[in-house]
Amino acid sequence: MLFEDNNFDVNMSLFMPDVNFNRDNNVLEPMEGFLRGNMFKDEYKPYKNLTYFKLNTTSEKEKMLLKIMALSFAINDLNLYLDLHSENKEMFNLFKKYVEEKDVLCKEYERIYGPLEITGDKGTKYDWLDSPWPWDNKGGSMYV
Amino acid sequence: MFKYVKHTNYPVNIRKKDVRMAKYLITQFGGSNGELAAAMRYFSQKFSMPDDYGKALLNDIATEELGHCEMIATMVHQLTKNASIKELEAVGLGGHYAEHAKGVYPTDANGVPFTVTYFAVTGDPLADIMEDMAAEQKARAVYENLIDMTDDEDVLKVLLFLRQREIVHFNRFKELYEYYKKKGY
Repeated sequence: MLFEDNNFDVNMSLFMPDVNFNRDNNVLEPMEGFLRGNMFKDEYKPYKNLTYFKLNTTSEKEKMLLKIMALSFAINDLNLYLDLHSENKEMFNLFKKYVEEKDVLCKEYERIYGPLEITGDKGTKYDWLDSPWPWDNKGGSMYV
Repeated sequence: MFKYVKHTNYPVNIRKKDVRMAKYLITQFGGSNGELAAAMRYFSQKFSMPDDYGKALLNDIATEELGHCEMIATMVHQLTKNASIKELEAVGLGGHYAEHAKGVYPTDANGVPFTVTYFAVTGDPLADIMEDMAAEQKARAVYENLIDMTDDEDVLKVLLFLRQREIVHFNRFKELYEYYKKKGY
């Protein structure tokens, strides 16, 4: 256990936000966390009155990609947490659940729309080349 | 080893040209508190971390920051894509055009090119992690300055997302710092 007692340096706590180590019921759903940029409810700190924007999808492809992005985000944020709290079984199980969901969705997406990773290119031609690339924006519809 | 995934960390799709905002935003790619400095800072520091906690955390945050470099560069690219030379010159990007045309080149908001002196590697875990905590706070502050300078929702939502990541990273680094202090490193 990495942090058995959390007695922070008093001077430090004056200028640093509180960190709650008891997060078991504090994890947001992947899409909720993704939109906020933070999977942990009590760590979320909006700026002024600006919280976050809802993202609208205009096609099945975008909807699927957005779900994949949300799951990838959740996996990454839990990954960082687990780096310091590997003993948290509940968190690790949640991590594995999201990885599994993302794998299934990615396979399905790549089968229909082409590869997200080079190793996902299993079609009859070399689809990796096909636009758009993530930095392209074609007519404002491609990346949500 | 790194793997490329063909989507951004969070959607970037800017529809309105805004060369003024591009000029300021580029600092979060190539400025002292930007994502490139963050990625390279953690990437370089990971080699001297004393245990698996530090190695894993610096490695994994460095990887995420590389994705953030791509997001900022994507925003700059999209904001300037259809700009004329005259429009670039009007906001003081004439020099940029002369050197780089429409290329995305890592500088700060004043056009000063990226330099590796923006970050340190001391080999001392407490000093390095403390620097990382400060870096996350400085990047958060710059994101807030940039948020104050635009009302384009396409830009705002990305900046709000990236700002929030600074908060999360700061919290992780702070946890690691407290742990290392207790361990007596």
